[in-house]
Amino acid sequence: MTITAQEAEPYIELNGVRKGFKFGTEGISIFSDLNLSIARGDFVAVMGPSGSGKSTLLNILSGIDSPDAGKVRIGKSHLDRMGESARSSWRAHNMGIVFQFYNLLPMLNTAQNVELPLLLKPLTRRQRSARVDTVLDLVGLNGRQKQYPNRMSGGQQQRVGIARAIVADPGLLLCDEPTGDLDRKSANDILEMLGFLNRELNKTIVMVTHDPEAARFARRTLHLDKGTFIEQGMDSQ
Amino acid sequence: MTFFQLARRNAWRKPLRTMLLVFCVGVAFLIYGLTASFLSGSQGSEGASENLLGVVNKAGRAQPLPLAYMNKIAADKDVAALAYMTRMRGFVGAEKNVVVTSAVDPRLIAGVNGKELGLTPELLAGLDQARDSVLVGKALAEAQGWSVGQRIGVTAFQMTKANGGRDWSFEISGIFNGADASTDTYFMIARYDYVNAVRARDRDTADAFIVLPREMASPGLLASRIDSLFANSAAPTKTQSEKQFLEAFIRQFADIGLIVNLVVGAAFATILMIVINTMVFAIRERTFEIGVLKTLGFSRSHIMVLIVGETMLIFVTGGMIGLALTKLATVFAGPTFGLVFTPVVLVKAILIIVVLGLVTGILPAFNAMRMPIINAFRSR
Repeated sequence: MTITAQEAEPYIELNGVRKGFKFGTEGISIFSDLNLSIARGDFVAVMGPSGSGKSTLLNILSGIDSPDAGKVRIGKSHLDRMGESARSSWRAHNMGIVFQFYNLLPMLNTAQNVELPLLLKPLTRRQRSARVDTVLDLVGLNGRQKQYPNRMSGGQQQRVGIARAIVADPGLLLCDEPTGDLDRKSANDILEMLGFLNRELNKTIVMVTHDPEAARFARRTLHLDKGTFIEQGMDSQ
Repeated sequence: MTFFQLARRNAWRKPLRTMLLVFCVGVAFLIYGLTASFLSGSQGSEGASENLLGVVNKAGRAQPLPLAYMNKIAADKDVAALAYMTRMRGFVGAEKNVVVTSAVDPRLIAGVNGKELGLTPELLAGLDQARDSVLVGKALAEAQGWSVGQRIGVTAFQMTKANGGRDWSFEISGIFNGADASTDTYFMIARYDYVNAVRARDRDTADAFIVLPREMASPGLLASRIDSLFANSAAPTKTQSEKQFLEAFIRQFADIGLIVNLVVGAAFATILMIVINTMVFAIRERTFEIGVLKTLGFSRSHIMVLIVGETMLIFVTGGMIGLALTKLATVFAGPTFGLVFTPVVLVKAILIIVVLGLVTGILPAFNAMRMPIINAFRSR
């Protein structure tokens, strides 16, 4: 099944993607023929039961994993044709990722965690610092530059995670259960922030979630089951 | 923040572990620094000249050579300067407090290696004042606490006086410093005419002739020619450079170089294993975080730089501490133990620090580099 795009030239395009894993001698197929089109500036929630392939989809979209067959194009980049180092470089410049458990480095303070992706860019220390301050201001953490992750609430840590994901100004944000570890209020704050990034900064967002409340913040919701998209919702927010 | 600061943060996330590693590396480089300084110092031969030749009896250094050889050696066109010397080994106070006295003609020894020893005209004039005057090397003077004008007594191990006694009395007329820190100054220079006149045996003989070849002359060829002069005599000679002479002298007791290399090699091999093992475990603990960094766009080479940078930091910190302690040791105990911390020792140590830092970092870095992100994420 193909999810059609809102515009002629989709920003994200998956064609005939096949992916499976081997557990011992047994092979398990996750996707046999997955197709997907997402327009630039879209905010898509991907829902589905455990084992439906949501995380595998994110891994393929982020270039962390490669498909066994099929095409994966994001913007002008064909991820299925890239080697590992090219995919690393692509991630550094085109994509930000928000994790469920934030995955901040404990020995770095807020500003240093956010600065990490900028180490891969040809920027001066002053330019990096300015960008870090800007995004921390954007996520409402101005003044907490020196604070370490273990001194922050889950919601604050996720804000740092979002700041880290957007500091290099990528076009695409991939979010893996970004509110899965948060209480309702913190979750809503984070989702509103993602909505803001989508609306105001035109970030394309693909968010994997189990939470229907979270999915309501997206423009579209895709349901993934047994390796196939079975449903879509448009502009639910 | 920079890559270096990130590596530093990683290294210091477990301060105790890192401090223990730094301590291990520091101890290894202290051992290396001390042994290398020993080889460079007066106990070794690093400071000895390759050019200066020593002519000794082929039968052994304990056998003297006739002083009459002097004229034959001096006749060679490639001999620029020539001196003779008789060595008197003895002790001051306790028998283990060994001192060596070289009895020489002051003018001749000044012509051969006066510059290296730092024999100034003033010092030579002081030696002329009395027959029992001696010049004492700086290292020996500092070790014994001697000063100019002091009268000292040396009991010779073998060289007896005509009256049957072995106690020699000298007055210190000056202290020579040597041209640089690696010059052996742990001995005294006495007047040959005095020692020769007073000793009971082996008068008008020398333990060695010291030859300074002319510039452009080949020391090796000159050595062969000198030895061929006396090949069929009652006392054939063996001519070697000062460096070879000292190395052979030290080898009489043990192959110090080999021992030092074995000790240092064992220390470094142990440190290498400890650091590699610790780093492999430290990086394994951080597998998930390495996955996160890779997800953020850090490439294999970035990960490699981070981990090698971390081990390099440990080696540089530990190595510099070890070398600083070595320097302190050579400053405080140098003259007595013959330790000289030369720039060559420092440069070699820095090279070893860099090589070991790289070698120890490569295995854990290689493991981390190859770890697929998916597997890294499964490690939590």
